[in-house]
Amino acid sequence: MRLLPLAFTLLVATILGLGVTWFSVTHSRGLDVVHAGAWLGWPRAGTVKADPYARAAFARSGELPLELADGLLFLATTDDTGAPLDGRCETRIVGVLPQARLWTLTLMDQDGHLIANDAGRSGFTSAEVVYRDDGAIDVRLSPRARAGNWLPTGARPRLKVALRLYDAPFSFASGAADAAVLPRITREACL
Amino acid sequence: MTTFEDLREEASGVAARLSRRLSRFFGRIAGSLPRPRLSRPHFGSPGQALLFAAFAVVLGAIAHIVSILAMPALAERNAYARLSELMESNALTLLPDPSPHEQVLPMMDPAFVSAVCLYDLSEAPLKVRVPATADYTSVSFFTAEGLAFYALSDQAAGKVIELDLMTASQKAALPEDEEITAADRLVIESPSLEGIVAVRAFVRERGTRAIVRRQIEAATCAPSN
Repeated sequence: MRLLPLAFTLLVATILGLGVTWFSVTHSRGLDVVHAGAWLGWPRAGTVKADPYARAAFARSGELPLELADGLLFLATTDDTGAPLDGRCETRIVGVLPQARLWTLTLMDQDGHLIANDAGRSGFTSAEVVYRDDGAIDVRLSPRARAGNWLPTGARPRLKVALRLYDAPFSFASGAADAAVLPRITREACL
Repeated sequence: MTTFEDLREEASGVAARLSRRLSRFFGRIAGSLPRPRLSRPHFGSPGQALLFAAFAVVLGAIAHIVSILAMPALAERNAYARLSELMESNALTLLPDPSPHEQVLPMMDPAFVSAVCLYDLSEAPLKVRVPATADYTSVSFFTAEGLAFYALSDQAAGKVIELDLMTASQKAALPEDEEITAADRLVIESPSLEGIVAVRAFVRERGTRAIVRRQIEAATCAPSN
């Protein structure tokens, strides 16, 4: 009797195939990942050259990708050591940003929702942030009020930070592995 | 080849997790149900089992590739579907500012005022006119499946961003004499009949959001005849 093993094999194959599909559309935004410290960028996702994984992920999530001619999106879910960003800890984002007409830094929870807070603040832009004397930014993600560029984390267990560079003259589309230097993300202390 | 290896690693991780969850699930319901009379599938010799395993991996890979490629066409909650619940075609609609409680589309930049226009070129080409605000203003185009195919910012366009969006056949049917004037207007070819135009303007200071919203309200998106 060969029918049962065959049916079993088909079942396993379908579960396997669709399982990998589900995993890749929920966890990835395309294959052309550019790493810059803890930041991940997908320059080709916002072009007609977007790969099938990027197209599938955007079709599922309903997101409109940021077009490369418009700007470039970087996401960080970990700090520079690879530890997940924890909203119960204090995290600092320090460094000089690449040249761009403007940039925005947005703090979200794990699912990409903005975090409600009394200050009504969910991010900084190049126009609002207070720069250090050397032109670097120093943004603090913390559950408690901090001096300077403070973003309230609402003590969420996992955070996601989006950095969008608009009208940036540099191009990652060539697939250069060395992305421009982006601010470093370090964990200071946990409560 | 790294991608393939990554996928294989992902696949084995998912499979392990799935089988663990499945066995836990079946273990739980086994107590309440009479034990089914089906025995475990009998694969015969180890060589045969290996053959079935190889078969399962190949079929699984095919199922994975087919489902990834079909996803844009089959996804029911993509950006176009979400937006078409809220608005009519061929008219610009200002989106509410993203807030912790409400987000029309995921991952929208809260520092921007956004407006979208769902277009349908089956009747006539579309004319998009966006007066540039004091700050960064951009217009980007997506197909109904969410593929980004064109974007333009105010710096490239000047005071008013004016674009004509049409299909390849509509572009080919443009009268000859209009071709000359077409130099000063931007003609964009849409790869699909339906899609999304997104107009976005940067809000430099929070206090100016209302002003920027009013400026973007003046933008239009309408059939050109």
